[in-house]
Amino acid sequence: MLVRFWGTRGSLPVAQRADAIQAKIAQALVAASGRTFADEAAAAAFAGSHLPFSTYGAYGGATSCVEIEGADDAFIVCDMGSGLREFGIDALRRCAAGHARTFHFFMSHMHWDHIMGFPFFGPAFDPAATIVIHSGHLDTEEALRRQQEEISFPAPFDWLKATFQFVTHQMGETFDAAGVAVTLIRQHHSHDSYGFHFNRGGRSVIYSTDSEHKLDNMESEAAFEAFFAGADLVICDTMYSLGDSVSLKADWGHSSNIVAVDLCHAAGAKQLALFHHEPSYTDEDIARMHAETVRYEELVRADRPALEVICTYDGLEIAI
Amino acid sequence: MDWELERSDGRLVGRPCGRVDETTWEMFSQVLTAAVREAADGGGLPLVIDLTGLDYMSSRGLRALTMAKREAGEIVKITLAAPNDRMREILAISRYDKLFEVTADAPPSGGPKA
Repeated sequence: MLVRFWGTRGSLPVAQRADAIQAKIAQALVAASGRTFADEAAAAAFAGSHLPFSTYGAYGGATSCVEIEGADDAFIVCDMGSGLREFGIDALRRCAAGHARTFHFFMSHMHWDHIMGFPFFGPAFDPAATIVIHSGHLDTEEALRRQQEEISFPAPFDWLKATFQFVTHQMGETFDAAGVAVTLIRQHHSHDSYGFHFNRGGRSVIYSTDSEHKLDNMESEAAFEAFFAGADLVICDTMYSLGDSVSLKADWGHSSNIVAVDLCHAAGAKQLALFHHEPSYTDEDIARMHAETVRYEELVRADRPALEVICTYDGLEIAI
Repeated sequence: MDWELERSDGRLVGRPCGRVDETTWEMFSQVLTAAVREAADGGGLPLVIDLTGLDYMSSRGLRALTMAKREAGEIVKITLAAPNDRMREILAISRYDKLFEVTADAPPSGGPKA
């Protein structure tokens, strides 16, 4: 399987401001320290090897949208955040090249930042497309229709040309979606959210965002450890520090980087992908959070195998 | 994890020893909550958690500290003392050094066991 991140920011899309780009250019020029380069490729090679990702790149600002490649003749997509627009453009390109026009969506929940990309999803206007929307909620269709009512958006849901199917699943049920075995778990979040476990050929990916792990409900941690057990990749909500998540931001429905590490350690997971980045964080803030999480994993690893901690960004691909 | 509690110089001092992780956090939480209640029953004695003998604490131990702080309310002040370098890093990464007062020096021992 190949996991491709189209949107990794939490809560609200974030655009790079001019001053942030200017600071990156200035940092690169200082790092170059008077060197000359034969062409852009040589400059890019220098930048890639001498600058941190937070300077040479950017974590991106589109909200939650993750593609899992590897199903039979279908796209698999988690959530419809603003990253869905870019995915839709790329999917149309792949469909034009012969890819099947079947889309399986898996919805963590229907909060604004997880559905806002849908009105801009080009394949929804394709009469040859089939769109299956899987969720644990009963009101998924209502949420998607409501955001395209006239007060919010000019094109109503009924103008869409694709064939739609809404499927509600029960906790603990394992079902097949284009050759991928899928299970879901209910998570603590306003109006509930659901995490998904994808398995194909013994390889597994967990998508667990917008999930708060409460202090006074440690019993639920055992359920998440079992859900994450042995996963090759756990994509996890790591929006806050633990300190924030138990104080100022308690009951806001999100988790922390170090709880994610501890859950993955207990579950014997192989890779943790930090996801749903706090919108107020700069690229430097996210890079610092990543470095701190890597360090925390080292500090509490004890005699366990190392857990690889990856910081997601828009455009990242992870092969499983 | 081992735990000792003593009353010394008008305060309670708790001394966890070993590590607090997914196998020991429940015991840590129980003794910590009991210590807070004892401090409250003593008229609001300050409670110092002497971390000298603690190897490290994972998020479950940190969350046990939060539950103890909630139990303490405004009546019992909890201070963390003498974390080793590893614990100091964990407190900084988790931002728990913003939630608790952390002192570098360990309280003197030798008072009556509570």
